[in-house]
Amino acid sequence: MTAGAVFGILGPNGSGKTTLLGIVMDVLKATSGSYFWNGQQSSAAQRRKIGTLLETPNFYSYLSGQKNLEIAAAIKGCDVNDIDRVLKIVNLHERRNSAFNTYSLGMKQRLAIASTLLGNPTTLVFDEPTNGLDPAGIAEIRELIKQLNREGKTIIMASHILDEVEKVCTHVAILQQGVLKTTGSVSEVLQTSLHTDEILIQISSDNIAELVNVITKMPGYKQHKVDADDVKLYCDAVTSPQQINKYCFENGVTLSKLAPQKKNLETRFLEITGNGSQNQ
Amino acid sequence: MLQLFKIEWLKIKTYRTFWILFGTFLLFFPVSFFIIARKFMESFSAKNTSMQEAMIKGMMGNPFNFPTVWHTSAWMGGLFFIIIGMLFIMLITNEVQYRTHRQNIIDGWSRMDFLKAKASLLIFFVLCSTILVFITAIITGFIYNDGTTNIFEGAQYVLYFALMATVYLIVAYFIAIFIKRTGLAIIIYFALVCIIDNMLWAGLTFRGTQLGYFLPLESVDSLVPNPFTKKMINRRRVDDWALVVTGLGYIVLIGYTIKNKFLKTDLKT
Repeated sequence: MTAGAVFGILGPNGSGKTTLLGIVMDVLKATSGSYFWNGQQSSAAQRRKIGTLLETPNFYSYLSGQKNLEIAAAIKGCDVNDIDRVLKIVNLHERRNSAFNTYSLGMKQRLAIASTLLGNPTTLVFDEPTNGLDPAGIAEIRELIKQLNREGKTIIMASHILDEVEKVCTHVAILQQGVLKTTGSVSEVLQTSLHTDEILIQISSDNIAELVNVITKMPGYKQHKVDADDVKLYCDAVTSPQQINKYCFENGVTLSKLAPQKKNLETRFLEITGNGSQNQ
Repeated sequence: MLQLFKIEWLKIKTYRTFWILFGTFLLFFPVSFFIIARKFMESFSAKNTSMQEAMIKGMMGNPFNFPTVWHTSAWMGGLFFIIIGMLFIMLITNEVQYRTHRQNIIDGWSRMDFLKAKASLLIFFVLCSTILVFITAIITGFIYNDGTTNIFEGAQYVLYFALMATVYLIVAYFIAIFIKRTGLAIIIYFALVCIIDNMLWAGLTFRGTQLGYFLPLESVDSLVPNPFTKKMINRRRVDDWALVVTGLGYIVLIGYTIKNKFLKTDLKT
């Protein structure tokens, strides 16, 4: 991975994202293979300089948020005064003296994120950071990650939420069943589609059967998929929406919908992983 | 290790269960000891004793006076020490159940750091309880002193207690790390300490061997036998030194096993 990147790790459920992060944080033991942080073998000293949020927040339930962070700060060897700063960033400062077991799921998640920020580390590792957060919280985290990246931090993020990843990440790796399917910058991954020479347009009309009949004879037609009331039309990249509209009208079909689809990460992801969650 | 202990202290200093159990030991042991000492000494000093009673008293010595008080305090402390064993197990299994051991590693402890931190707690408990045994003995000894000048004769039992406490806690440590579930670990610990160990000892000893004295808990138990019955039933022909070495050996062996397991395992509940 490159420094200063926001690196997304994507994959269906069970593909190994959390396992991967668990291994590089010495929480799980790999049966084979090796990894290096900054060119060196992993060690506890390095881990202190990396802020990590792995799976669920694990804190002492009878202790307050403040006290939990004191323990984390002591282990990391960073200043106790930093705790106020990180609590304010995640909007948990007012509830810092309440016991952890009184926190809602979103608050627990925020505390975990606050813990990763202690000591201002240069690298951050997040496993599903938006888990349990409401839309406002999700937007805040997105802004936070962007802000941290602007400050020059490297961020590794495992996520299901492709929309977020596309908005925030600079690089991405896609896993499936423990195998790395593709990796690279986001634009690279989006471009190396098998179908770069075609475009996707969603159209609809009152009579789907007739619509399908007409478009299959259209010049530039490649293939189509019927999806309830919509038709996903794949045709030559040179074909414009205006041409499709004109052709349909001239052949007696009035379109009720004409929406060019940008190739986005979600379609690319589903292409690569073949649409399925792996329950293994 | 002191730094690690400070962090462990942060974890437990506001933990109510810790204070309840630790406080129970710190309070109940000396108080019970003083009460039993008082009751015993009252009947001991009673004037109308028969010839038989006088003979028995002669054989037993005075368990609440020097030099035997050290032995009695160590033995009684050993009985109460199970509370600490149980507490120690809980402190470790709770970390596993709540996965805070994972968090400690992620935050920047090495696996060895975690083990050493818990070991520092072990040392803390042994030190506190040994000091308590010492203080209880010396106070009682002075209360019921009848002119003994060398008060530290027989004080080796305090050190035997320290060894016994260490072995008891390292066995608890082992059970906590391997069983991982609080309830089950405590049940197994109690079963081992109260029942299994004694049964194995009885089985081996009644076959005429001395091997029973080399079982882990039994070895240190035998260093501090029941002072109220010691002159009556003593089958042990094994030397004190042999038992001390055995106890130390078990500490090293069990410690090694714990380390090997924890350094290689996946940190899951």
